[in-house]
Formats: sequence, C-alpha cells, structure tokens
Amino acid sequence: MKKSNQKGAKIGIIISFVLITMFFLGPLLWVLSLSFKTVDELFYVPPKLFPETFSFENYRQALWQADIITYLFNSIRIVVGTIIGIAIVTIPAGYGFSRIKFKGSKVIQFLVLIFQMISPLIISIPLYRYFSKLNLLNNWTTLTLIYIAIALPFATWTLKGYFDTIPISIDEAGTIDGCSRWKVLTEILMPLIIPGFVSVIVIVFVTSWSQFIVPFIMISDSRMFPISVGLVNLQSSSDTISTQLLAAACVIGIIPTIIVFIILQRYIVSALTAGAVKG
Amino acid sequence: MPSTNTLLKHKKFSDTPIPWLLPLFIILAFMFVYPTMQVIIYGFTNAKITSPNYSFTLRTYKSILSNPSTYYTLWITIIFVFFSVLFQTLLGLAIALAVDKGESLLFKRGSIFVRISSLLSWAIPGVIVGVVWGFIYSETGTGILINLFKSLNIENIKFLTDPKNALVSVIVANIWRGSAQSMILSYAGLKTVGKAQIEASNIDGANAWQRLSKIILPDIFPVISTNIILNTIMTFNTFDMVWSLTGGGPGRATEVLAMTSYKAIFNNYSISKGSTYATLLLLINSIMAVIYFNILRKREED
Repeated sequence: MKKSNQKGAKIGIIISFVLITMFFLGPLLWVLSLSFKTVDELFYVPPKLFPETFSFENYRQALWQADIITYLFNSIRIVVGTIIGIAIVTIPAGYGFSRIKFKGSKVIQFLVLIFQMISPLIISIPLYRYFSKLNLLNNWTTLTLIYIAIALPFATWTLKGYFDTIPISIDEAGTIDGCSRWKVLTEILMPLIIPGFVSVIVIVFVTSWSQFIVPFIMISDSRMFPISVGLVNLQSSSDTISTQLLAAACVIGIIPTIIVFIILQRYIVSALTAGAVKG
Repeated sequence: MPSTNTLLKHKKFSDTPIPWLLPLFIILAFMFVYPTMQVIIYGFTNAKITSPNYSFTLRTYKSILSNPSTYYTLWITIIFVFFSVLFQTLLGLAIALAVDKGESLLFKRGSIFVRISSLLSWAIPGVIVGVVWGFIYSETGTGILINLFKSLNIENIKFLTDPKNALVSVIVANIWRGSAQSMILSYAGLKTVGKAQIEASNIDGANAWQRLSKIILPDIFPVISTNIILNTIMTFNTFDMVWSLTGGGPGRATEVLAMTSYKAIFNNYSISKGSTYATLLLLINSIMAVIYFNILRKREED
C-alpha cells in the first residue's frame, strides 16, 4: 500500500518536473533553434522544431554586421564599473550599519530600502533634464553612477545582513590587538564576508545587465548602447526576414547571464533569500 | 551590550557613522532624493522637454485627472499586476513544493536542474524576454504557438493583434519571467517548516492537502506575504518586457503606467504630464511600501 503510494508520488513529481522544465526552457530552446535557421527554413509551414544545419553564420552576422559585439562590450564596461562602485560604497556602508550603533540607524536603514521600490524611470526623468543641461548625456560616468545608485539599496541591505552574521567578538579580538576599525574591516572581516559579497555581486550583475530604461533614456549615441538598448534598436529595424539574426542576438545577450548563473547558482539562491527568510 | 561600550570609550571620527555612510548618502541624495522630489514638482508645472523654462500650474493635474485615458491605463496596469502576481505566487509555490518533494523522494540533481531552468527566465534581461515571447506569439504561419493551436484545431488566434488577447499574452510572458523569484522564496520558506510537525501529521494520518493547508501554508505565510508585496511593487514598475513585446499596443491595450509616463515625455515632449503619471506610480508604490514596513515591524515585535 505504502509502496504503491510512493511510486505514484514519484511519477507525479517526474511529470511535473517535465512540465515545469518545458514551460521555462521551451521558449529559450525555440529561440536557440531560430538562431541557427536559414531564411528558407524560417518560412517552412509548419515550422520545424530543429534547424537542419548548425551554422554559426547568423551569429557572425549579428555580432559584426548588426554590431552586437560593440553592445556586448559596452554592457560589460558598464556592469564592471557598477560592480566596482558598489564595492566601494556598500562595504563601508554595510559595516557602518552593522557595527556602529547610532540614533536613528534603523530608520535610516528603512529609508534606504524605500529607494529600492522607486522605479528607475522616475529618477531618470529629472536626471535626463539635468544631465542634458550639463551636456552629460551619452557619458559613461554619469550612466554608471545611475546604475550604482539603483543597485545600492539592495546591495547595502544584503551586505549589512551578512555583516550581522559575523559575531562582534571577532572585531573585538582585532581591536584588542590594536587594529583600527579600517584594519578590522579590511583584514579580518573582508575575508569572512566574501561569500556574501559574491551573492550581492551576482544579483547586481543580473539586474545591471538587464537594465533598459536608464540607458534607453540617457544614451542616444548608438556606439554607446548596452545590449538591451541595442537589441530593441535591432528589433525595431528588423523584419521577418531577419528574425534569425534577432534570435542570434538574443542568445548572445543571454549567454553571459547563463555563464554567471551556472558558476554561481548557489549564491543567487542565498542572496535572494537572505532578506526574506531572516526578515 | 557591554561590548559596544568598550569600543566607544574614546570616540574617534571613525567611531561615528559619518565616514562609513557618507558616500552612500551622497549618491542617494543626488540620484534618488533630489530626482524624486523634482518629479513631484514637475507635475505642478508646464515643463516641456523642448524648453528650459517652466511656470507653476495645476492644469496638468486637472487635465490628466479628467482624461478617461488615464483611468484606462490605470485599469490595464492593475489587471496586469494583479494577474501577474497572483499566478507568479501560485506557480512559484507549486514549483517549490514539487522541487522540495522531489529532493526527498527522488534525485537531487533533477531538482536542481528544475530550479536552475526556472531561475534562468528570471535572470535574462526583460527586453530579451519580450523579444523571445514575440517569436512565440508570432502570428505568421511560422509561429510556434499558432501552429500548436492549429494542431488542436484552433485556428488563427491573434495573440498580439487582438487587444484582449494581447493583454493576456503579456501577462503570460510576465508570469514566465517572474515565477522563479516566488519559487525561490517559497522554497526557502519550505526549508524552515518543522520536519517534526510534518512527521507528527503523517502519523496522525493527515493527507497531503491537510498537511499543505494546516501546517505548510501557515508556516510559510510570512515569507509569501512579503514576497507578494515586493513583487507587486516591481510589477507596477514594469517597462522593458512590455516595451519590446508589444510597445503598449495594439492601440493602448497593453500600455502600463510606466510606459504612459515615458510616452508623454519622449513622444509628446511633456515633462509635466509624464511626471504626473510617474508621481501616480510613486504614490501606488509608497502605499505598498507602507504596508510592507508595517508587516515587517509587526513581525519584529512578535
């Protein structure tokens, strides 16, 4: 009785696993298939699930003719800048909120979190006007600064949470040995915080790589487009005959995320749940 | 705490929060506080993108509040958010339960694979989600979904060109995109459910549904409720995915609030009008934030 019940449950689980995976991977596999098709294959009715040949011609064209390679490097440039900025600002801030007790600390922390809920569109409206007056549209520094600002609330909160998990006695041992706060932070706490910091970085990478509305508003020079804006640009200029190129461009835009993902998957789960479960 | 007292004995500059938090505050002040206040102010002006000067007026608010198209956009946005969040939460919970069960009953690898594949949809850029689902919904003879329906003898569904269908299509794509986050949080919540309680209920002969409704759901309810609120806020802010999937069309059938704001500014050059819509968005999210913080505070008191 018990055994057959277990067997039924197992079959149920396997069926649901297959359905879930099909729902989530199906659209991505379809794009992958499109990206390898020739123009002729695109118009087969009904469409073939798999391309007949696996030629990288579409990828070559997307990368060099449609200039996806430039967009790709622009995105990398912005994201790396954002991550460095986030490190510089949030490591001291996370330490400060965690280790220095002061009046109003809790209230300020909540205020910081509120910014997380403000749409990037809202802040982009005045910043667009402001930066256009200063002639700072199409500028790497201002763009990266906005990216940093958007990632700051989440990063500060999460990092502060990781600092909280380190017992304060470790700081005190350092202080007794004559370390300054700065030394305690950089030499004792930093090595301990690295797993937490990696989780933060992964999320900052994913959200910054996806960022669309900010560069869409701030960047009009197509040589400076990140991949998201570049793709929309390619989409608006493409028709059914270039579907396969757009598909290849999508796959190229997804690949960095997949790489980061497969390597750092467990950090993502930890970062996403850090606030929720403890809170 | 006595330990902090010893640290504070001789107070140096580095013992105050200022040097640690100053960079954070400067960036937030310039990039969030100032712009947010400025958006609210713009709503009470006649600012245009084409002219550097503006004067104060209530006309912009009067015009958008008396315009039925504002309420149409709001209605579209609310439908979009409500059904997205509802199904993301339900689907997320269902997947989390399956993964959790799968881990104990079957093979760990399979569960991790399912988890990663659903998380991928969350991690890829919103504009790509829109383009990908644009391929799926393609209404030419080469579209994948239209042929799938054809094989079930349902012909010629207009996924994106019929206004009602378009909104459903956008919501489905958004569910695909956002369920993973709910899944991860539900999954983490499930890990905290007391094993002893579940074993006790097994001995008492409770069935699966009773276990779910009496033990598991009440236990993970706090995690789910905060997730629903945060998810609602994020979904109200949606722009990128809808932009590349439908551009708000056909007509304005899928135009969400953030998009209305963008279009007012960059298509109609009216900063003031766009700012009133943006302020509306801000207001909605502030209400959600207040609810969120109340829940957090209540939980801390317990």
